[in-house]
Parts: sequence; structure tokens; C-alpha cells
Amino acid sequence: MSDDTPNDTRDTSGRFVKRAAEKAHQLHTPSEDGVHPMAKILFGWTESRLAGTAIFWGVGLLSAFLIVIDLWVDRHEYVHMAEATGFYGLWGFASFAFVVLMGWPLARLLRRSETYYGDPGGPPADIDPDVPLAPDTAPTYPHEGDED
Amino acid sequence: MTGLLSMLNPGWLLIAVGLVALFLPMRRVRQGLTIAAPIVAILLISVADRNTNLLTGHALGLEMIFYRVDNLSYIFGLAFLLAALLNAIYAWHTDDRLQDGMSIAYAGAAVAATFSGDMMTLFVFWELTAVTSVFLILRAGTRAAYFASMRYLGIQVLSGVLLLAGIGYVYHARGDVSISAFTSLSEPGALLVFIALGIKAAFPFLHNWLQDSYPKATVVGAVVLSAFTTKLAVYAFARMFPGQDALIWIGAVMTVFPVFFAVIENDLRKVLAYSLNNQVGFMICAIGLGAAGVGNALALNGAAAHAFCHIIYKGLLFMSMGAVLYRTGTTKASELGGLYKSMPWTTVFCIIGAMSISAFPLFSGFAAKSLTMSAVGQEGYTIVWLMLLFASAGVLEHSGIKIPYFAFFGHDSGKRVKEAPFNMLLAMGLASFICIAVGIPAIVPGLGYEWLYNLLPYRVEAMAYQPFTLGHVLTQMQLLVLAIFAFVMLKRLGWYPAEKPGVVLDSDWVYRKAGYGLATWSGTVWQKAGPALSAIFFKLTGRAYDRIEATFSPRGELARGALTAGMAIWTAILLGFVLLMSFVTAG
Repeated sequence: MSDDTPNDTRDTSGRFVKRAAEKAHQLHTPSEDGVHPMAKILFGWTESRLAGTAIFWGVGLLSAFLIVIDLWVDRHEYVHMAEATGFYGLWGFASFAFVVLMGWPLARLLRRSETYYGDPGGPPADIDPDVPLAPDTAPTYPHEGDED
Repeated sequence: MTGLLSMLNPGWLLIAVGLVALFLPMRRVRQGLTIAAPIVAILLISVADRNTNLLTGHALGLEMIFYRVDNLSYIFGLAFLLAALLNAIYAWHTDDRLQDGMSIAYAGAAVAATFSGDMMTLFVFWELTAVTSVFLILRAGTRAAYFASMRYLGIQVLSGVLLLAGIGYVYHARGDVSISAFTSLSEPGALLVFIALGIKAAFPFLHNWLQDSYPKATVVGAVVLSAFTTKLAVYAFARMFPGQDALIWIGAVMTVFPVFFAVIENDLRKVLAYSLNNQVGFMICAIGLGAAGVGNALALNGAAAHAFCHIIYKGLLFMSMGAVLYRTGTTKASELGGLYKSMPWTTVFCIIGAMSISAFPLFSGFAAKSLTMSAVGQEGYTIVWLMLLFASAGVLEHSGIKIPYFAFFGHDSGKRVKEAPFNMLLAMGLASFICIAVGIPAIVPGLGYEWLYNLLPYRVEAMAYQPFTLGHVLTQMQLLVLAIFAFVMLKRLGWYPAEKPGVVLDSDWVYRKAGYGLATWSGTVWQKAGPALSAIFFKLTGRAYDRIEATFSPRGELARGALTAGMAIWTAILLGFVLLMSFVTAG
């Protein structure tokens, strides 16, 4: 098989050093639109239109599978009620849903303006100096608690 | 092991390095020292003799034990030192003498406290953790951070003062201050020590210093802060209050209540602070189950294992949010999203931290949390067990899903930034490695979770425990996968609350709003009422003086007429009588 690779990509041992280095360089050099090449390799699948549906059905089927095989697994439980088939799954589902749904009334009850306690403060001093600061990060009140 | 090094508490070494770092302008030398010191310290504790007082001293009539290593202190000390090492690597890109010095000194204070064998030495380093760590908040440089750091310092010092008062009672009752377990809260000083430790462990209603200060710290500071203070308190509880029933319920409440705050909190570093509360709750609950002495080995092993894993994975999560903050200038969920496109490696490490804290099988949290859950079930605390199971689903919600989803996925914020600096990625990579390495099955005996179990206080009992049974794995996967299904379903239905900017009120409202308002109102009232009260006072006293003068002065009413002479005679008679009586009684 012929090798059409230019000679300058090989070192004295004939290895493709430069090409490998270029490949490595490409893998950590973001594209012009700021997207890291590894992002496409690792998480590119999440951008698919069907990803959401696939995740929904995938997780749903896995959930069903885990409950079904529970019928055949002999579990030893210290808490009696946990011996019921699918107990952990149902408890996990109900707990998660309860916590999230409680977020609605709790947010209405407890959420206040960012300046409720006075100056909310911007980012700390040790962030990347290249980050442009948003104009609204300047202190809004001279002292905490001074709203008047 | 003999020689001077065998007597050196490794915490002191770290504190000394911290002091040197404060004055060392050569950046790379300074940072090299902060990386080398924890490595040397790990070597020192690894070769130290166990259960021996390696360095003692006498002061003010007290016998102090400066350095003592046993199985319980070893695992906490090792975790602190690993965290110190990772933190130093994470801070490599910075050039801040104060932060470098205080970070390593803070770690040193926690390590020195862990290896101290008496309460006075513990108290000294307990206070030193407060004094050194406050700079990590102050260094953020914002006005909000300044106020938070002052509140933080006040509360931490209060904890120290209570501890000292408790030590006084203990010394009075026992005649020495060596660290030993209290059998009851009614023992002299026990309650004061309990509250002092409870403040640092962020018990419910004593917890706000944590959520107030950590999210306002510097990028590096929050990572450093997450490792030491609360876990030092956990260690102290394991040492002094194992098997204390109250801890079971306090711990259970600690696991549950932060979940509700975390779900509506917008600042992801604050979400992690609530999550920290929740995780410490598991440890506190386990300590409450572990009776003093031989006791419930499973529970105390659970607390120690959980603390070790938690220090690493919580640090990892704070590191990933720190990297996001460093590059974007914010950790508000409402302003983030889609960052996986520009920070894929940070995303991967964050997901590993999230899976570890959620206790997915093959990650460290699973190996640690299984011990506690089994202990709670075994002891028959069904309600507590259900609360912990509820909290496990809650952890998945706020740390397992919310953190990575809203920062790196979700709605694309359009922010295109650089990936985190290499040193940050390296620190996160090492932390991820530990999270996986101690979470996997022991395919090679002694490695995987067995490496961690080998380090636990009750080693034999730990090694007899099998986390990777089919039942354990299945039930944990059921819990997590169906909880994830709940998330996917709620998102699809549009029932998941949107992330909105704002402050979520917590019990610190009592002193930050009501208390502060009352104090300023009192000041204003006093400012206005003070002069009026003074005027009334002077008017009343002036009138009284005029009356007295009009009656008793030489020109007064009583000085007129025969009464004056009579008064003088009667006074002379009375004085004479008193003299006579004193003469008679003296004779």
C-alpha cells in the first residue's frame, strides 16, 4: 500500500509525530464559534432532535426493567415495607417529584429580590481577568441592609 | 518510628508552610511548598505509631496531647491532607500570597485539631480554623463578602467560646481535659461542647453561616472551605458524642430540609452549600447510631467513610463550579447553560462528582452511604431510614441533576468561554479518579472500595460488609433511575420550576433582617430619645436640688428659728450614744 503522507510528518524513526501533535492540538482548540472539539465527541449526541425523546423513553424503559427484575431478586431488608416490589423506585420517584413540585409554592413564599439584603455583590476578585463584567454587578447599596 | 519527625503533628507543618507562604513572594516556590507539604504530611501520618501519645506537654497544670494518631483520626486526617493537596493544585493559576498561605494554614489547623488528644489543643486549632478561613471569604473583595465574612467570623468564634466554656466545666468535673466520649448531655460541660460542635457542623438553625459565606468566597476559597470546618466538627462528634440519640434525629432533619432550599436556589455554589448540609446530616445521623466504645461499628464506619468520600466529591463539585465562575463570572443557574460546548472536560468531571454524591454504584458515594443506610435500617429507625431515603432522592435532584444540567446543558446561554485552566482540570481529574477508585468493586483484593474500608475505624467489621450485592445495587439503581425519570417527566410536562434570580429567605432572616432592623431602629430611637431623656433627667434633678437647697441650706427652712439649735443638740446626743455603745461593746 502506498503512503502519500508528506515526509515532514515523520520523525527519524518514521513516526507521524507532527500529525499526531496536530491532531492533539485540534482536539483542544475551540472552533471559531467557541465550541470545543471534545464537546462534539462527548456530548454531541445531546444536540440531536430526538435526544430528549430517546432519553425519556430510555429512562422509562430502564425504570420498568428495574422494577420487573425486582420480582425475581431475593432481597434481604431490615425495614419491612422495603421488601415490596419496586418500593425503592416508587419512593425515589415520589420523593423527587414532591421536592420539585414543592419548589413552586416555596419559591413564591421565600424568593425575594436579589438586593433584599442590600448589595448582592458581583463575582469574586479572582475570576479570569478576561471575563467582561456585566454592568449590573456594581454595588447597588453602600451598606447591607441599607435600602432607603 | 523514632526521631523528631515522628513527633511532628503534620498539621503544624502545614501551618508553618502557611506562615512562610504569607511572606514568600516567589510564586512557584510558594505554590510548590503548598503542594509538597500535604504529600510530606501524608507520609508522616502513614508511618506514625497508632494509639500512642506521640507528643505531649504541660501548661497551666494541664496535660496536653499534641499528637496522637488512631484509626478514626487517621482517615479524617488523610482526607484533609488529600483535599489540601488537590486544593493547592487547583490554586496553581493564582498568584495570591494571602490566599495560598491561609489555605494551607487552614488545612493545617484542621489536621492539627484532628490529631490532638486533649480538648485544649483541639480548642486552639478549632479557633485557628476560623481565623485562617475567614480570609478566603474576605479575599473575594466584594462588599457582600466582607459582611458575610464578619458574620462568619462572629459565629465561628462563638463556637470556640462555647467550646472553651464547656472545657472549663469538663476540667472542673473530671480533673483533666483529655478527649473522651460524653455519656450524656447532662454531664458538666457536655451541652456547651455539643452546641459548639453543632455550630461548626451547621445544625438546623445554626447552619446559615455556611450558605451565607461559602458562595461569596473566592473561586479557590469556596473549594478550600468545603473540605475542613464541617468535617472537623463531624470528627469531633464521632470522638465525643458517638451514640448520642439526639444526633440521629438532628442528622435526619439535616438531610431533609436543605433539599427544599436547594431546589429553588439560583446560585449553584449556594446549592452546593445546602447540599453540604444535607451530606453532613448523613454523617451526624450515623454518629448518633454508633454507641460509645465498641458500639455500632457499621454506623461509625459509615460516618467516617462518608466524610472521606464527601470531602473529595464535594470538593470536586465546588471545583467544577469554581471553574465555571472563573471563566464566566457567575454561577447563577439563570445565566448559565450550554457550557458543555466550551468546557467539556469540566462537564465530565462535574458529572463524575454528581454521580458520586448521588451514590450511583461504581462511584464513591455508594460505597460510603450503603454503610449508613444499612446501619439505620438494622437499628430499626424506620422513620429516620425513610427520611434518609427521601434525602437521597433529594441529593440526586440538587447535586446530581440540577448542578450539571443547569450549568452545562439546559437552555444554551450562548456563553462561549475557554475550558478551565489545566491545573484546575488536573485537580478535578485527580478528585474524579479518587471518586471512582474507591467506588468500584474490589476486583483486585485490597483495592476499589476495600481500600477505603481498610482505613475505617472498625476495619474487621468494614471488611465483612458487602456493598455490591445484587439487592443493594438493584435498589439503589431503582431509587436513582426512577428519580431521574421523574425529572425527565417533569421537564417534559413543563412542571419543573424555572431558575429565577433572587434571594431565598432562610432562618438567617432573623438576624440579617429582623435583628439588623431592630438594632438600627433602636439606634435611631435612642438617637432621638436620648437628648429628650437627658433634658427630662436634668430638669427633674434640678428641681429636686432646688427643693433640697430651699430646705437644708444655711438659708433654708430648717436653718431658721429655734429648731436649728435643737437639731444640733439632738445630733450631738445621738453621736455620743453611738460612741458610748461602741466603747461598751468593744470592752
